[in-house]
Amino acid sequence: MTRRDFLWTHGGGLGGIALARMSAATHHPPRAKRVIQFFMSGAASQCDTFDYKPRLLKQAGERWDPGEKVELFQSNPGVVMPAPWSWKQYGQCGKWVSSLLPETASCVDDIAFVMSMQAKSNIHGPATFMQNTGFILPGFPSAGAWVSYALGSLTDNLPVFVCLPDPRGVPPNGPANWSSGFLPAAHQATTIRVGTPAPIQDLFPPDAVKFVSKEAERDGLRLLEQVNRRHMEGREEDSRLEARIRSYEMAARLQLSAPEVLDIGGESAATRKLYGADEAATSDMGRRCLIARRLLERGVRFVQVWSGADNGFPRRNWDSHENLAKDHGELGTSIDRPVAGLLRDLKSRGMLDDTIVHWTTEFGRMPCSQGSKGRDHNPFGFTQWLAGGGIRGGVTHGATDEWSYKAVEKPVYCYDIHATMLHLLGVDHTRLAFRHNGIDRRLTDVHGAPLTEIVKS
Amino acid sequence: MRLIGLPELIIMLLLLAAPLLAAAPDFDRDVRPILESRCAGCHAGAKPAGGLRALDAQAVRAQGRAVLAAVSGEKPRMPKSGAPLEANQVAVLRRWIESGGPTWWSLKPLAPYRAGQSIDAFIEAKLRENGLAPSPEADRPTLIRRVYFDLHGLPPSTAEIDAFVNDRAPDAYERLADRLLRSPRHGERWARHWLDVAHYGDTHGYDKDKPRPNAWPYRDWVIRALNEDLPYAEFVRRQIAGDALYPDDPQATVATGFLAAGPWDFVGHQELRDGTTDKNLTRLLDRDDMLAATMSTFTSMTVHCARCHDHKFDPIPQAEYYGLQAVFAGIDRADRPYDDDPALHRKRAGVLDRKRQAQVLLQPLLDKVEFAASPELEEIDNRIRDAKLLLAHLGEPKNAAEAEEKRTLQARADRDQKLRQASLEKLVGAETFTSIDRHKAAIKEIDAELAALPKPKLVYAAAPFFERVGNFRPSLEPRNVRVLARGNVNAPGAAAIPGALSALPLLQARFASADDGGRRAELALWIAAKENPLTWRSIVNRVWHHHFGAGLSETPNDFGRMGSAPSHPELLDWLAVWFRDEAGGSLKRLHREIVLSRAYRQSSANRTDGTRVDANNRLLWRMNRTRLDAETVRDSVLAAAGKLDPAMGGPGVQMFWFKNDHSPIYDYARFDPDGEGSHRRSVYRFVVRSVPDPFLERLDCPDPSLLAPKRSTTLTAIQALALWNNPFMLRMSEHLAARAGSASEAVRLTLGRPPTVEEAREFGAYAEKHGLPNLARLLFNTNEFLFAD
Repeated sequence: MTRRDFLWTHGGGLGGIALARMSAATHHPPRAKRVIQFFMSGAASQCDTFDYKPRLLKQAGERWDPGEKVELFQSNPGVVMPAPWSWKQYGQCGKWVSSLLPETASCVDDIAFVMSMQAKSNIHGPATFMQNTGFILPGFPSAGAWVSYALGSLTDNLPVFVCLPDPRGVPPNGPANWSSGFLPAAHQATTIRVGTPAPIQDLFPPDAVKFVSKEAERDGLRLLEQVNRRHMEGREEDSRLEARIRSYEMAARLQLSAPEVLDIGGESAATRKLYGADEAATSDMGRRCLIARRLLERGVRFVQVWSGADNGFPRRNWDSHENLAKDHGELGTSIDRPVAGLLRDLKSRGMLDDTIVHWTTEFGRMPCSQGSKGRDHNPFGFTQWLAGGGIRGGVTHGATDEWSYKAVEKPVYCYDIHATMLHLLGVDHTRLAFRHNGIDRRLTDVHGAPLTEIVKS
Repeated sequence: MRLIGLPELIIMLLLLAAPLLAAAPDFDRDVRPILESRCAGCHAGAKPAGGLRALDAQAVRAQGRAVLAAVSGEKPRMPKSGAPLEANQVAVLRRWIESGGPTWWSLKPLAPYRAGQSIDAFIEAKLRENGLAPSPEADRPTLIRRVYFDLHGLPPSTAEIDAFVNDRAPDAYERLADRLLRSPRHGERWARHWLDVAHYGDTHGYDKDKPRPNAWPYRDWVIRALNEDLPYAEFVRRQIAGDALYPDDPQATVATGFLAAGPWDFVGHQELRDGTTDKNLTRLLDRDDMLAATMSTFTSMTVHCARCHDHKFDPIPQAEYYGLQAVFAGIDRADRPYDDDPALHRKRAGVLDRKRQAQVLLQPLLDKVEFAASPELEEIDNRIRDAKLLLAHLGEPKNAAEAEEKRTLQARADRDQKLRQASLEKLVGAETFTSIDRHKAAIKEIDAELAALPKPKLVYAAAPFFERVGNFRPSLEPRNVRVLARGNVNAPGAAAIPGALSALPLLQARFASADDGGRRAELALWIAAKENPLTWRSIVNRVWHHHFGAGLSETPNDFGRMGSAPSHPELLDWLAVWFRDEAGGSLKRLHREIVLSRAYRQSSANRTDGTRVDANNRLLWRMNRTRLDAETVRDSVLAAAGKLDPAMGGPGVQMFWFKNDHSPIYDYARFDPDGEGSHRRSVYRFVVRSVPDPFLERLDCPDPSLLAPKRSTTLTAIQALALWNNPFMLRMSEHLAARAGSASEAVRLTLGRPPTVEEAREFGAYAEKHGLPNLARLLFNTNEFLFAD
């Protein structure tokens, strides 16, 4: 059994033993220790947020003709449709941002914008898989699972990889988006449903179960360990038996630390305000971002925060086919202060230096209208951004054409983003592989290279 | 089941015709002398010309086409000096290269059956070579627990343990094994292994993850086939082309549920328009899944690695990957009707085929209308879509203004719909519509015939024909498949030729059939052929893997160069041939042969001499200890609690709260562990792809979207919490307590033995203080309960 086999079999997920030893598993000295990823489910529009194109204003309402046949997901191209928001330049770098995201805009000098993203599918399910796992098929491990597999944990008390889904529901593909795929189950995300009575499944017995008391619990766990130790006599060589005994100790630690990390009562009024944790429009995302910071602070490696659920009606994610001003308007407001708040908070606590912040979505939206007020899917060009953890602030990478339709300068797939992320974590993306059904699988498939331009030298 | 009918006759004829019986030249005897005398002058040594070593059989074969081109033709380029090769020398070379004369273990033909051998003879010979002896036989209580979990996925009852322990007859164990193999519990247990490989699920997966309510008949077919011990060759043929090869057997259609078992991109198939890049990609990947499942499962070859380029490690050209894509080009995954009455089944198939033929005539006309385009039409369509979008977004009006908006939008849409029809008629001509009406009338008559038949059953299976839903429609005849440069749907190359792998020289790799059923039938026969060594090695290795916890080859889905070579190659080959020829492909006889072996019956206790030589126990100097898999844990908890419901078959039990929304909601937390059907065996649960059962998932139940030839074993805090706190476990603890009535009986029901004196005292005291349910909970969490020695 290799060391890594041992670690993931024996509790990699919460792997106490992982801590000391796994720091040696990096391929080069890391710039970052942890990642927080915001996923805008349903496809957040680039041309309404970060990708400013004056031509859309100039030719507003004219028939859109990019000079080639355009294949759209649901519709035929409508007219040129400018953002229903105004645009302004921000920061030292002068980055154009729409008035939909003023708070994020005030952080542009810490952010590297990748303006030339492309996706390999124009369907939500496959494209959402791609941003999460590098593949447009189900069954592959998510980036968080790969990071867990590669680096193990920073703490004995909390999971390595945590997912905070939108309380309105899970995104397209459901929990398969944060699964461990063919990696051992220990690397899947632990889902925390913030604000529900039992945020972590099975952390405690359900209230309805009356026969379990505190004393029964305490005596029972003690006796269980005794019984299991006795069973090990003559079976000492089987490390799985010892690992199971330890797994109950770690479970007990999680029972202690999880309620503490989820309780934001002790955060100052100023901090709560920074995240918009107490205002109706932002409180959901604000609270989740605040909890995300607490998780990162206490040693969680990878936190994924979702904005938006599935693509159903009434609209509950960014899939604004019908009425973009309304749906993007509400969602933009709901994430703007919380996300910016997290950036500022991490920075003021000195955590931004070794925390990668990644804002992502499965694809973008068309610069033309769908119907009269919506936009259809655009896998040909969209925006993501990164900050912290060794990322250069105030830079942009690549560009779309004059319409914000296609990535024309330095086109980027998720492979490069994932490669960059792994690079900053000290991992060479070409060497992080797992043999499955005959292929050495990677997060980056057979592609990708770190985007050195957006990495601090 | 009829024994000989026309289809069976066709099979037999095809079987006879399939192998190319020309003997392939032998490298050392026939080829080497030619290469040595004519090529090795330059192509040898430290710096061989062109980097090619003439005496490296694999290298020459890898560049076979180039080598042949160099030495043949009017003025051959090679050899550079001397006369060209003689015609018969070129012919030998060509035959050897084209024969692909396998040098790789899994591709080599199987040697004829050798009598007088046994599993133990091979195992023990190898142990002796390594200075080891086998371990003694495990004690009776251990043995019965082991073989029950293995063959049934359930623990033995206390009465069964007592009976076996006290049965002093020399054939007690043999009779036990036979009894277990006769029980229907056996098929349920081993079907679960097969469903892992087939990546079976009861939902589509992907975005929306809609339920697939008619998948279960395939699951039941697998259970029945295993219980009835369907010979393996038939088991294979039916799952790939049962509908084509056994048209009189309705259950053979059900068996093709194998091809449809994997995930299906609902949005890609149903919402995307034909002819778009993403639609083509959706179909490519859908066939890729069928192909990967078929070839990985039955032949343990990773053909799916050759989608973008020739296989990097195994002799599988990219063109052959697309040849296999072409085999599946005539089917989709859809609900398919079948009838239990064979006569009715056949009759319906006939009527449906007439309907398909009528549809073939109608379809071009419909396409003419569907794909008609003009600026006017596009404008109208945009307006209609806009109205539809706004109506959907509006939902139910909440006030008078919204109600008025809805009325206006609706009126606009109705008006535009009329304009659209007028514009369309101008464009395609009114006579198109007259013809359409005529064909539709003919189809209506056929529909009336169908409606007059009794209502059919449905199975989600390989479907060459079905009713169109949205943009999901049948191909009617196999779709054109082309070899795609770099796997890119926008870079089509030559037309793909339906076929299988040329790496097996004894079988015909190119298929002659033009139609869907014929192509799949040819593939089914190619795989199930006696001469296909992959198939027979693959299945005995798979079965071995589940009995011992590790296969003879540790990569059951990959017998290629990236896979693991077998620990006992002679045993694997002997067993494959024994299974094929002597056991007639009877899986039950294979199980019996294995569980009766001394190797299987050994103690799992550790030995220092063993760990010193072979710590991973690849040589099997002892039995492997196994942690029970997810379903076995759940089923064993139910059994111990006295709650296991033995009902077999039928629709999947939804062990979650369900809401059929745009994206359906599957909520496991809102389900009563004593709810309807909740005590059924785990193999009967409704398997949701996007939202796995959290309890089973934490015990390493694999993602049903991926091919899972083996399961991992993780031991995490989250898993401990699930076993300790999950509502199912706590409820069953109460049931076990109620059933047992005493601490010592609770121990017997969970661990299959009475408590020791020490345990009796400790457990008794704990139960006294905290109640029996708390002790039951503890017992379910012991390593002794969760592992089998």
